Amino acid sequence: MKKVYMMLGVALVMTGCAAPNPYGYKTPVEDRSRTSPSPSPGTAVPVESESGVKVTPIGEMPVIRAQRDEQAAARVQQSAEPVLSQPQSPAVIALLETARQDSSGGDLRMAQSRLERAQRIAPRDPEVYVQLADVQRRQGQFLQAEQVALKGVSVASGQSGALRRLWNLVADIRQEAGNEAGAREARQKAAAY
Amino acid sequence: MSKKRTPPSKGRRTRRPKQPSRMVRLFRWLLKLGLVLTVMVGVGLIYLDAQVRSKFEGKRWAVPAKVYARPLELYPGQRLSRDELKQELKGLHYRFVRNAGQPGAVEWASSRARIRTRGFNFPDGAEPARNMLLTFSGDTINDIRDAEGRRLPLVRLEPMLIGGIYPKSNEDRDLIKLSEAPSHLARALVAVEDQAFYDHWGVSFKGIARAMWVNVRAGRFVQGGSTLTQQLIKNFYLTSERTLSRKLLELPMAMLLELHYSKDEILEAYLNEVYLGQSGNRAIHGFGLASQYYFARPVQELDLHQVALLAGMVKGPSWYDPRRHPERALERRNLVLKMLYDQKQISQTEYDSARQRGLEVVKQRSLHKGAFPAYLDLVKRKLREEYRDEDLSTEGLRVFTALDPLVQTRAEAALDTGIQGLEKRYGKRASGLEASMVVTDPQTGEVLALIGGRDTRYQGFNRALDALRPIGSLVKPAVYLAALERGYTLNSMLEDEPLSVKLPGGNVWKPQNFDRRSHGLVPLHRSLALSYNQSTARLGMDVGVDRVIDMLQRLGAERELKPYPSLLLGAQALSPLELASIYQTIAANGFRMPLRVIRRVTDAEGAELSRYPFSLKQQVKPEVVHLLQYALQEAGREGTARSAYSVLPQNLNLAGKTGTSNDQRDSWFAGFTGDRLAVVWLGRDDNSQLPFTGGSGALRVWTELMRRERPEPFIATRPAGIEYVWVDEATGLRSDARCEGSRQLPFVTGTAPRDKVDCGLDRPVERSLDWFRNWFN
Repeated sequence: MKKVYMMLGVALVMTGCAAPNPYGYKTPVEDRSRTSPSPSPGTAVPVESESGVKVTPIGEMPVIRAQRDEQAAARVQQSAEPVLSQPQSPAVIALLETARQDSSGGDLRMAQSRLERAQRIAPRDPEVYVQLADVQRRQGQFLQAEQVALKGVSVASGQSGALRRLWNLVADIRQEAGNEAGAREARQKAAAY
Repeated sequence: MSKKRTPPSKGRRTRRPKQPSRMVRLFRWLLKLGLVLTVMVGVGLIYLDAQVRSKFEGKRWAVPAKVYARPLELYPGQRLSRDELKQELKGLHYRFVRNAGQPGAVEWASSRARIRTRGFNFPDGAEPARNMLLTFSGDTINDIRDAEGRRLPLVRLEPMLIGGIYPKSNEDRDLIKLSEAPSHLARALVAVEDQAFYDHWGVSFKGIARAMWVNVRAGRFVQGGSTLTQQLIKNFYLTSERTLSRKLLELPMAMLLELHYSKDEILEAYLNEVYLGQSGNRAIHGFGLASQYYFARPVQELDLHQVALLAGMVKGPSWYDPRRHPERALERRNLVLKMLYDQKQISQTEYDSARQRGLEVVKQRSLHKGAFPAYLDLVKRKLREEYRDEDLSTEGLRVFTALDPLVQTRAEAALDTGIQGLEKRYGKRASGLEASMVVTDPQTGEVLALIGGRDTRYQGFNRALDALRPIGSLVKPAVYLAALERGYTLNSMLEDEPLSVKLPGGNVWKPQNFDRRSHGLVPLHRSLALSYNQSTARLGMDVGVDRVIDMLQRLGAERELKPYPSLLLGAQALSPLELASIYQTIAANGFRMPLRVIRRVTDAEGAELSRYPFSLKQQVKPEVVHLLQYALQEAGREGTARSAYSVLPQNLNLAGKTGTSNDQRDSWFAGFTGDRLAVVWLGRDDNSQLPFTGGSGALRVWTELMRRERPEPFIATRPAGIEYVWVDEATGLRSDARCEGSRQLPFVTGTAPRDKVDCGLDRPVERSLDWFRNWFN
């Protein structure tokens, strides 16, 4: 079926070359402002013709497609991005809480152990990375702390509260490590959430 | 001595010298000799004393490092089937009983389990022994409560001991304290080996006499004459050769030992020193290890009849070996029980019920020790990067690893099932297959399971680490990632056409597609999902082999890679473990994490020596990796790995890549879901051709593993700089969900095509087909 429409598409393109453009389309060749190496990727070649007719994109040449009926459209329509935040389990809450106590009592290594335990149970909980990064920051391991916070950012996608906290933490870590520009950048990202 | 030889005094000289009598001369000579001897003995004793004390007070034994699996965490809401928990408890040698009265016992019912845990001293805090009730709902833990009915949020079981690192002497032991030993043990030992133990000074002539009397009365050799102290001296300080001088040293040393140390200290040393059996070339020393070896449980949990057997075996561990000579052992055990009863150490009821029991020795040596040779091999290699062999085999270190015995078991079962399926399908052509597998948690970077060959108990060639085989198309994600990083999009059109590349040696490289056809222009995502070679080679040549190598190294390859064009299609050989490391970075959104097998190492007392914390480094931008993850998921949905979905649930969103090396000598699959990543290799050691590809071989094993694992779906989190845009598949133009032939692809924001196909959406009133027909007519 698809092929039939494609063939029709070719035919239409051919006619489209001769007749005035019905919808005033601009050239269908993708305009890529970024230069890329050859073979130029993204060069839109309208259709691979089976009939031996070589179709070259010259001038104004729209590509015409049929519409899906509503059911088919509903089928292909992907749902919005899944919501990833899950309720914390009592186990993780308990570990995060004791880690917080360890950490405020100065036992950073113990806190780190507990947080790694929490990470194994709930590896997609941004709070785990917030605390882990903070413990590493307090140990002076700024490089690791920043990476852990960034990993937190990558699991926190879609959770603006967590993203704000994580970017602020990245900013703090960079600040402490003497990276002023990086800190500013992170601060801006935090402000966006 | 010289004093005695002082010249005679002046006064005496004036007298007429008197010749001393013969007797006096002899007496003097004897006196001198006596003095010399006394001094020699004194010096000797001091020397012996120093020896006795230094050994007793220093490190007494070479204790092999103990290697543990991960402890199983239990918490409400955790997905864990009853069978899995049962398997874990069996691995820990819990007893399934009607009434769990003591630690190490379980009451098992249909939807609940009462578990008496043993507790364990973890480096990050002690886990107490608990009496807890677990309630299941389906394959999930619903609730955990302690004996008082209070909710427990998180509990961990003891970690399974998976092996040790033994010294050259192959002596193995588990040290125990006297206070930990069952009370009957010391009594039984004293009863059969040395009844006067608490009264003598190390040597007991009364004891020797009594032993002789007992032996004569029994009409055979029941009891030996040497005291426990002498036995300890013999084993502890002296070599095994039986010479008179050794025997003569034994007595004074025993007495010296008694002089310095209490009876309890001596008894405790004895409990840990005594030889109690042989497992292959491993010598079983001490009651701690013997208890595990014969009964598969800690010595604290032994019952009277088991204690009596072990105490009886001291006299001749191989003669009374309960596995080889059960009748002899039973007779000996009952004799020990009788002696305890005669000496009123146990009651009539205890005696009667203990006599009724069988030997109850476990069939094999403990189930899990030595069960994971491939993983243990990897652990040892990692340890040797930091520790000396000698320390590993003598210091009693404790090594906590990430091995998940449940995952390991499922991986082994999946391999068996998968290979059986292939043998059925391909018959003889699939004979002699070898295999290896690496399973990790992509979120934490921990290696959960490792298979080094088809015989998973074999401690030999570890293919997961040492078999370097051409990786075939498993290299392609690195090629595409390098290209995406350079500005290509998933939508970029690639030419899948023949190409030939002149090589420095004068040869020409002419890659072929698997189906021997060229496919013309294909969008980049499809080229990867369908694993086209010619388009990939062209793409790789355009990006540059050096950049692909750089990408491989950023992702996790550690060896030197040769910049030949054929690398673009996987001529480079890597180990399954290295590939796991590379795919791990892809699964973790571009964060490279060193694969971890060891979590922590502590000394014998539990003080931390080293830890291997979660560490990571962003190597590729998450947006770029997101694009690659899309294409690898497409390989699962529509590409070379789509057969996986005939078995696995549709919502799994697996991402992966098939790989087949030149001439079909290696069958690979590497892929991941939300919480599991696995690399599977199938092939033969003689490198001969296989009847299947990566998709029809290794993928089957991978699929079988994931079916058993029931992993979480892979959810590709959408980084901030990503937008999803509908494009026309055939042309790569921007399209719409409502247009035929369209597909939604992720783009780094701003790189999506702008020009659109036309399916009449600008004229919203008319329905498309009407519009189409009208226009056409």
